[in-house]
Order: sequence, then C-alpha cells, then structure tokens
Amino acid sequence: MDTEKAKEIVVKAIKTALGGEKEISNDMPLIGSESSLDSMKLVEVCLSLEDAAEEIGFDFDWTSETAMSKSRSMFRSVQDLAAEFSKQSAI
Amino acid sequence: MIVVTGATRGLGKSICQRLIDKGERVVGLSRSIENLPFEVLKCDVSNYSSVKQAARDVKKMKEKVDAIINVAGIASMNMAVTTDENTVRKLINTNLLGVIFCCQLFAPILLRQKHGCFINFSTIAVPLALKGESVYAASKAGVETFSRTFAREMADFNVRVNCIAPGPIQTDLLRGISEAQINTIISNQIIQKQFQKTDVCDLIELLIDTRSSSLTGQIFNIGGV
Repeated sequence: MDTEKAKEIVVKAIKTALGGEKEISNDMPLIGSESSLDSMKLVEVCLSLEDAAEEIGFDFDWTSETAMSKSRSMFRSVQDLAAEFSKQSAI
Repeated sequence: MIVVTGATRGLGKSICQRLIDKGERVVGLSRSIENLPFEVLKCDVSNYSSVKQAARDVKKMKEKVDAIINVAGIASMNMAVTTDENTVRKLINTNLLGVIFCCQLFAPILLRQKHGCFINFSTIAVPLALKGESVYAASKAGVETFSRTFAREMADFNVRVNCIAPGPIQTDLLRGISEAQINTIISNQIIQKQFQKTDVCDLIELLIDTRSSSLTGQIFNIGGV
C-alpha cells in the first residue's frame, strides 16, 4: 500500500476518534502536549488501524520501543503514522 | 465468553468448571491440551507470539468477552541464594511476563467492547514477605503493581482490572510446604482459617458480575492480611 492510501486510512481513523470533521494536517502531532488526541483517543486510532489492517490482510503492530519518543515515534505526526502503516502492509 | 489461563489444572480448572456450571462459555488457555469438557487453546503465556496467536483466535470467535482470568502460574519454594538461574527466569517469565503479555495482547478485545475485566492472581506471600519465597513473591508483587497501574490505563474504556491474592489454597502449588508452615501462614491472615478453591471461585463470580462495576485496581487478599 502506498503512503497516500495509508494516509487516507489514518486520517479517517483520527477523524472518527475526534468525532468530527476537524482538518487533519500531515504534520499534526499525535502525541505530546500539542496533540489533539489524548491517550484514550490515540488507542482508539490504533484499534481502528488494526481493524483496517485486518480487512486489508495484514497485522498492524502498534507496540514499539519508541512509541512515546518525540524524535522516533510512529505517532510523531499523521505522516509518520501513515508511513509506518504503509511499511507494515508491505511485510 | 470468559478466557482463563492455566485452565487445565488446579485453581484454573476449578474456576473454569464453576463458570461452566453457571452457564458461561469458557475458553481455556494451556500449554497442554488435555481432554477437558470445555474449549482449550494451546498457549504458553510466557511466550509473546503464543499469547498473540491465542488472542487472535479468541478475537476470531467474534463473541463478547466478559473477562480474562490470568491464573497460569508456577511456584518454587526456595531461598533466593539457593535458587538456580533457570528457575528464577521461569518464575518471572511465567508469573509476571505471562500476566503482562496476556493483559496487553487481550486488551484490544476488551477495549473495542468498552466492556470486560481482567482478574490476575497474586499471593499472600507478597504482604507477608514469606521467607523462602522471595523470587516467587517478587514475581507476584510485580503482578500486583502491574494490575493497579494497568487498571488506570484501562479505566477510560470501562475495563476493570483486579487481583486476587489467595493464602494457602490446596493446589499443586502447595507441594513441599509442610502443614506447620501452612498453619503459620494462616495464623497471619485476619480470618484464621484455610480457604478453599470454592472461596476463590466465589470471588471470581463477584468480580465478573456487573454489580462490581466500582471495583478496579484492587488486590483482594483471601482471608485478609
């Protein structure tokens, strides 16, 4: 799956978690003080992505040693999460 | 549906039987699949991939899961200085990592439902700091702290986490403990009597019941300490 398709899925999951049509930018942070997602909503996004991955036919593993790292986390931004989702779909 | 680890023997088997008698669908997890009157999935709780596969299999059953009961555990009565490396690792891997793996890998099922509870198992050896059980007690102390903290992480999703800490219940884990030692432990309980598997089963039923919706992050010492 290319990153653009992955981004569509990630954005949809975030919008669902936020319960609205909020504008989602590529560089929107998903962790940290500037994130619109609290820990509960972040988990909801991950669960949605896990479901989406299952429908497509792969396992999305959202556990990571660097999950909460500001410099290396897949949750640094929408773009980073989409890149990780795309990467895992190719494994 | 209720998932029980360590389902084929001892306390786990009794809990499964009680729940089945109450009309629950029980799925047991165990390293060995024996001829049991309920569904059992092969699973080594100390193995992350094995637990992940079991969680995947349970998810595929597409049935509401009311509880994950982590009973699987091993004991070794020995002083720390005379316990070999392999036994130390087995105790920590099965008792502590096993509970952590089962909680983290089954959690998504309960999180999606926004319903359900985890029940983990500790021991009276933790509050009493029983001599000769240091590694075992350390593994279970880890379970207690994990349970209390995990309860906070799950609370937003209406998922509860509690821990039962029995005293000397008559199971295989008591092998090698003399009657005098058992009586000494019992004398340290608030209610000074030896409780039975049925008492633990009663508490399990209570904690699964929706009327326990206010109870989370608690350690329930059978008999009190």
